Parts: sequence; structure tokens; C-alpha cells
Amino acid sequence: MNTFASRFSSTSAGAELSKAKAIAMEDDDFSDASWGSEAGYGSLAKGVPTFSIPSVADPTAFLRLHTDDSSDPNCRIKIQHGTTTLAFRFKGGVIVAVDSRATAGSYVASGTVKKVIEINPYLLGTMAGGAADCQYWETYLGIHCRLHELRNRERISVSAASKYLSNLVYGYKGMGLSMGTMICGWDKTGPAIFYVDSDGTRLKGDLFSVGSGSTFAYGVLDQGYHWDLSDEEAQELGRRSIYAAGHRDAFSGNTCNLYHVKEDGWKFIGNYDVSKMHYEGPGDVPGSAGVAYGYDIRVEGRSSADS
Amino acid sequence: MSIMEYNGGSVIAMVGKECVAIASDLRLGNQALGISSNFQKIFPVTDRIYLGLPGLATDVTTLQELFRFRVNMYTIKEEREIQPETFAHLVSSTLYERRFGPYFIEPVIAGLSQTPSGGFKPFIAATDLIGCLNFAKDFVVAGTASSKLFGVAEGLWEPDLEPEDLFETISQTLMNAVDRDAYSGWGCVVHVITKDKIITRTLKGRMD
Amino acid sequence: METSFALTGKGYVIIASDTTAARSIVKMKIDEDKVKALGPHLLMAHSGEPGDTLQFAEYVERNIRLYNIRHNYSLSPSAAASWVRRSLAESLRSRHPYSVNLLLGGYDVPAKEPHLYWIDYLGTMSEVPFGAHGYGSYFALSLLDRYHNPDASLEEGIATLKRCIDEVAKRLIVSPSKYTVKVVDKDGVREIEV
Repeated sequence: MNTFASRFSSTSAGAELSKAKAIAMEDDDFSDASWGSEAGYGSLAKGVPTFSIPSVADPTAFLRLHTDDSSDPNCRIKIQHGTTTLAFRFKGGVIVAVDSRATAGSYVASGTVKKVIEINPYLLGTMAGGAADCQYWETYLGIHCRLHELRNRERISVSAASKYLSNLVYGYKGMGLSMGTMICGWDKTGPAIFYVDSDGTRLKGDLFSVGSGSTFAYGVLDQGYHWDLSDEEAQELGRRSIYAAGHRDAFSGNTCNLYHVKEDGWKFIGNYDVSKMHYEGPGDVPGSAGVAYGYDIRVEGRSSADS
Repeated sequence: MSIMEYNGGSVIAMVGKECVAIASDLRLGNQALGISSNFQKIFPVTDRIYLGLPGLATDVTTLQELFRFRVNMYTIKEEREIQPETFAHLVSSTLYERRFGPYFIEPVIAGLSQTPSGGFKPFIAATDLIGCLNFAKDFVVAGTASSKLFGVAEGLWEPDLEPEDLFETISQTLMNAVDRDAYSGWGCVVHVITKDKIITRTLKGRMD
Repeated sequence: METSFALTGKGYVIIASDTTAARSIVKMKIDEDKVKALGPHLLMAHSGEPGDTLQFAEYVERNIRLYNIRHNYSLSPSAAASWVRRSLAESLRSRHPYSVNLLLGGYDVPAKEPHLYWIDYLGTMSEVPFGAHGYGSYFALSLLDRYHNPDASLEEGIATLKRCIDEVAKRLIVSPSKYTVKVVDKDGVREIEV
């Protein structure tokens, strides 16, 4: 176990981990036997897992030195970043739309990333920032949401789930976690969205967009958004906003994944190629006017010249 | 932030059978923000020479104007068209003039040079930003997607391609390479130079 | 933060710029006009380093006026834009470069066509149907991709501009409160209220 010194020294990364553990530890009083098989997750169900840490004086600074490519473009490890994700609440539920591009520096590492994490049939999480951080912690959140269900014979609220995630990542504050996520779902209170990031911010709201392309998405989203959108209009708005970001932002694009959360859980609506939307529109889908999104295609044949 | 990556953009040139091709993307950006999808980086120098200027966009325009001026002066003084080899050296020395405060451009030259017998020989060349000439027999690349272009071109290029096959090869090379580069893309343009005509086509590239 | 927008429509260009002159964290002035009329059919919005902006704008204004006096003929928008761009590009490699971003809009009278040029402090120039400078561009460009119409009436153009102003007011942390808006068309240059 920790020595007295390491537990109270503020510089030790080990101490930070044990603090994180203490914050998220809620099922300490249950033994492993209570839950039977841990399904290969090892210690996951018991509070927070432990991570090995580089054996240098200041592990956080070490990590930052070798991964932070905004301060040093030649750093050896490039963490994947650059994204556009959005979610909004309206009378018909929640729309969640994301792009699918992953970049490392200027290299497009993948165009088929799944940035919506299906936590359970009623909860979705979006992924911006460190891909691994989001994937790991939101999967982990899924485990705990299930445990909550088993223990309390009722589904976890979106609020509680997001708070759980927020507390978890706050425990690692300053250690290099990077995530900006939206936890979306439908619970007793109706549709709900919470923005949670690795700074520890947690915000309830109707409309969020996160990532390098978020400003472009907001530009279209804000102008078209109102509460009384029909399902089809809302889906179209989500698609159009992701296209806008995919078009203007170098670090977003490839395809758009669209989800719709209703009372009976989330439904995957479709995957749309950003370039196809530019030249032809989203295709024969509900809410689409059947016209191309691309500016040059949309205004073809029109001229500013006085006749 | 690298100054060579500030505006984005890439150019490639390839040799074929009695023809050459040069192609570029059309993006003008401010780092991650796309500004224009119609920014030309390739300019005609003579009827049989094209010049690609990837790099810092302000220098693209400045150098295009400078080369237009110098080639016009050459034509007037010599009373003949400039040959690709001569033009390559003009490019090189123009860039070296600014050795200690360079233009941030890596030019690519493609053309057909006249042989003593009256025939035409394909010519391509590229230089670095201070004018080190690189004459190649197969293809040359430059710009933010250069590493990706090298990879694809190594796989697709073969000797003695006819104009239409060369067009297909250079188009596929460029389109697939810029799709893997965040700073290049937003449409492409291809020029194939043959002894009696120039084929110019704008490609529907990915717009994200 | 400084923000400027410009867009073309049927036979006109609208240029809008915020009216704040800031120094450090203080707003020194809230009604500064940052859109200059360079000629009977030419407008230029300027933003960037305080001091440089006005000095450069006046330098351009006087040179264009001089050309007009010497030749008794106005530069076309494209010629004026090329000259301005070159001035900035030459300044970039001087000992003290101007840090000025410009939106240059004009009406080409003989061709009966409006033109808009996006120029940054490096001397990068691009002719665009709409453009923006400053942090506002991150919100306005996607919006204009969606709503801009090249053959819009002046009313429709102003409505689109209002969308940009509203969006920036809604999302940008330190958003400008007031804008000067000017239009150039076949009848010349005039200021309008939005």
C-alpha cells in the first residue's frame, strides 16, 4: 500500500492516482464475489483501474513533452485530434451528429472513425480530443451504468451518468487526459444532453458542438435551430451542420454519422459521405430537399453581374 | 506551425511518352480554415512549359508575376521562346537571389523541350525553396502532401504512358494523395502537355 | 475581437466592419469607421495592428487618388486589388511590415460587375463571392456557404449579413456591438443602417 509520505506528497503521480481512485470509488464495500465473473475486465468493476506511469521525476511533464504537438510539431508521439461533433435537444428527442476523420499532424490517419460511443441502448457519448481517452472512459462509464441498473433496478439518469464521468476525469486533471464529450440520452426527465470535458466542466444544455470544426457547425446550427423542429428537419440540420464543418475545417470531414435518441432509446439514422453531400446532397433521406450542399453547386448559373 | 504549411497545397509533375503532365490541388487555406477552392497554383509560361508554385500563397502570386516579367524580357531580348532547361535555371537563380530571406515556394516545372531534329523531349524538374535543381526522369512532387504523393506515385507511375493514360495516372496519384493530407484538396486541376495541344481538366475532388 | 464581413449580390458588394478600437483590454472608441471609400466605386475594410491599419489605408487611398488625377481614369477593382496586394507583399519583406487584413470590394462600371477580394497581411489574395476576417470568419463562412446568394437583392443581402452579425454576437466571447455597413454598386458608395 501507499506509504504515508507518498499519500500526502502533492508532486507524486501515484498520489494523484490514489486520489482519483478515492473519488470514483463507490463500490468498495462489495467484494468480487457479489458480482461473480468480471468478464475479463479485471479490476475495472472495482472503482478506478490503475495505470503504470513513466518512472521519471515528473511523469505529467514527460508525457506533455513527447505528445504536445502544438508546442512542438516534431514531437515523436502525435495524439489523434481534430473533430466536429454536435448534439441538440428538440421536441422530438436528441440529434447526435459527428464526422469521422482522425488526423495526426497533417496526416489523415483515418476517415472511418466511429465518434459516437454507444454506451447502452439509451445513452450515447460523443468523442472529441484524445480518441483513446474517450473510447476507454466512455466504455468504462457503460460498465458502471449497467452496474447502476443492476443495483437499483432502474436505468441511470443522463445527469448521473455524466456526473460520474465528470468526477472520474476530474480526478486525473492535469495529467494529460484530453476529452470533450457530450453524454446524450433519454431518461425519466425526457431528452437530455450534458457536455463533459477533461477540465472537469460539466454543462447541461439544449445545443452543443465540440471540436476544431465546432464553430463552423454552430454557424449553420444556430441559424436553423428551434425547439419545434420536426424529426426530419432536425436530422437534416444535424447533417447539414456536420457537412459545413467538414467542408471548411481541414481536420474534420470524410463522413457524417447521425443518431436520433427518442423515448425508446437511440437509433442510428445513417452514414453520409461529406463529399457526396457536397456534390449531390445527402440522397433520398427524410428531411432532405434533394439538393447539393456545396456552395458552387447550389448557386450554379447565378451571377452577381448586372444584366 | 510551419510557414510552408500555412496555406497548404501540393503539385506533382510526371513524364509520359512524348508528353508531360502537371497537376495541383485548388485549396487556399489559413492553416485549418479553408478560404478558397479556386486558387490556381499552376501557370502557363509558354505554350509548352507550365510552372507549379506550391507553398506560401503570397509568394505564389508574387513569383508568378515575377516569372511572367522575366520570361517576357527573355522573349523580347532573345526573340525566341524560352526552353524548359533555360527556364529551370531562371527559376533556380531567381530563388537563390533570395538565399537569406527566401520565397517560401518549392517550384515544379513541366514542359516539352525542342530537340535539334525538331522533335520534342519531355522535361520535368523541381527545386527547393532556395533553388537547388532536381531533374527527374519519372516524376517530381512538392507541397504539403509531398510525402503522400511520393508513395502513391512510386506505386502507379510507369514509363512511356500515352497522354490519356498519363492523365489517368497523375489524376489518381494526386487525388488519392491529397485525400490523406489535411492541408491539400478542395478540387484538383490537371494539365497534360503534348506536342500539338494542351489538355486541361478540372477534377471533382473531395471537398472536405 | 475585430471582425469584418463582405458579400456580393446582384450588382453590389456589401462590406461590414465592427467599430471598436481596442487597446489592451480597453475599448478606446466604439464608433471608429474601418471601411474606407477608395474611389467612386471602391470600398476597403481594414483591420489588424493598430496604427498600421489607418496608415496603410490612407497610403492606398492617396495612391489610388493620385492614379486617378494623373490618368483621369479610375483603376478597376481587380487592378486596385493587385496593386494593394503587391504593396502588402513588398511590405512583408521590409524592415517594418504592415500587419493589415483587407476586404476590398468594388463595382466594375464598364463590365457592370461587382468584385470582392480577400487579402491578408501577407499579401495573400483571392477573389471570393463572400469573405471575412477575424474570429468572426470561423462562424460566418459556414453560414455564408449555406445562405449566400450571388444574385440576391440588396434587402436579401442585408438579411444575410444580419445573420452573420447575429451569429457572431451569439457565439464569440468578446463580440463587437456595432458595425459600419457600406454598399458599393453602380450608383457609387454609400453607408447603410442595419
